[in-house]
Amino acid sequence: MDADRITEITRYVVAEFAPDVRPDELDPDFDLLDSGVVDSLGLLRLIAWLGERHDLPVDELDLDPAEFRSVRAIDAFVESALLKGATP
Amino acid sequence: MEVDLSGLVHARANGVAATYKGVDISYRGLRALIDQARRVVAAGTGAVDLVVGKSPEAIALVAACWVEGRPFLLPPSDLGAEARSALRAQAGCRQVVHADLTIKDIQTGKDIPPVKDVQDAVGTPELDGVGPMLTTSGSTGLPKVVPLPRAAVDRFTEWAAAAFGIGAGSVVFNHAPLNFDLCLLDVWTTLRAGGHVVLAEPDRALDGRALARAFTSADVEVVQAVPLFFRQLLDATDAVFPAVRELVHTGDAMPPGLLARLPERFPHARIRNIYGCTETNDSFVHDTDPTAGTPVPIGRPIDGVHARLDGAELLVSTPFQAERYLDAARADRWVEQDGRVWFRTGDLVRQTPDGVFHLDGRADFQVKVRGVRTNVRQVEEALLNHPDVTEAIVLALPDDEAGYRLHALVRPVGEARPNSLTLRSHCARLLPRTAVPSAVELIGAEFPRTSTGKVDRKKLLAERV
Repeated sequence: MDADRITEITRYVVAEFAPDVRPDELDPDFDLLDSGVVDSLGLLRLIAWLGERHDLPVDELDLDPAEFRSVRAIDAFVESALLKGATP
Repeated sequence: MEVDLSGLVHARANGVAATYKGVDISYRGLRALIDQARRVVAAGTGAVDLVVGKSPEAIALVAACWVEGRPFLLPPSDLGAEARSALRAQAGCRQVVHADLTIKDIQTGKDIPPVKDVQDAVGTPELDGVGPMLTTSGSTGLPKVVPLPRAAVDRFTEWAAAAFGIGAGSVVFNHAPLNFDLCLLDVWTTLRAGGHVVLAEPDRALDGRALARAFTSADVEVVQAVPLFFRQLLDATDAVFPAVRELVHTGDAMPPGLLARLPERFPHARIRNIYGCTETNDSFVHDTDPTAGTPVPIGRPIDGVHARLDGAELLVSTPFQAERYLDAARADRWVEQDGRVWFRTGDLVRQTPDGVFHLDGRADFQVKVRGVRTNVRQVEEALLNHPDVTEAIVLALPDDEAGYRLHALVRPVGEARPNSLTLRSHCARLLPRTAVPSAVELIGAEFPRTSTGKVDRKKLLAERV
């Protein structure tokens, strides 16, 4: 877990999907998919942003929507994707 | 009258029945899954609620219900829990079966051994001859349950097999989730004929690369999907699909720009538009002219379909229709006249001198969000259910990708300031996910009104597009 990254992801999610919400109002465990806050098209935007921001080859990764269920889950996804990238 | 599944029963055991996630399952394999599911389905009686996504197991469970003659409720898999349980009660479901064949007691929510039936006090609606109970967006509260007679489904699959040349070995792509009426063509007509259905993964139905991977996992000959699918596919790959001989676009208006791209990628496909709805199934078909550059007409009635106009509103009577909603209180859309039951489609149409029908819009508050018919009134009802909301208006804003996206305007109660997370979570408990607003805007002032005292939706809309 990376506190700065959690903050950054939270800011992005709020700005993109719930602009009326303050970042501190979004619980990192809030279910973004079940609540309909991030829909299937939104998920594609989110993944594209993660790919760009963290230089991840998201086009080549096999992605499961459940990996993006909450801010904390997204953070874990980035962490594991970065680790994989670091191993030759 | 039973549904004819002879193709499924007699198809060559080694023939491929379905491809899912790149893996083929043979008819032998599918029949084995169906046999397992039948043991569970045959042990109960009355209607059953199927909690299934999409998989060979899910298909086997539905097929088992067909074979055993049990009516089955098939709501959207993402329908909110409260709405689902209300529909379950309405349909008199005494059993809940999951794709993995676990059974839940609907009183306690616990798994019970597969051989026992659940006895309970829910009502038993008249379901003689009913097969699938699909759902469709209602204007208030709950989605409406559409009980399709087995005989109507049988007539439909017979028509579809002939219309699209679906026979033993035909490879047909299925894009829609299993609870969509579109599956009566893609999945059930195909299996009935002993064909090969290639399943898109519903969770990834908007991921162009995953779609392209599924689409190319076999040489698809017949494909039916909403326009959004074709755009995602064409954007994700440069491949050409010479094997496709029938391309059906349906469910939403086909953008002329996208249509113009189809012939190059599907050089051998006959391109047709199909118009229909869950209540009546397919009713109009049109050979699409990709070079026309104008909105695609809905065309002419399919053989056996009757069409008439009330003002500009289209009424249809089809051999494939449900003839009612399960909730008898919501009968207003069904009209009996001239010895037929007609369905008021809510679609405004006009007929040109060549006999072709053209769609001009809706008579009510329905829009398509990501290809799913959604009634903004129903979303407003859901919002009004929240204790912090005193008034709610839901606008459908045009959106390049989704068709429309829902923008909710909410006047809160007193000092309450519910945020969009709270209100959307609330909606998600009551509605399918496509009906959850993309944005919620809190409004302090009164809504503008028209001269007749109705909320001026046009003005609100004009301020936001």
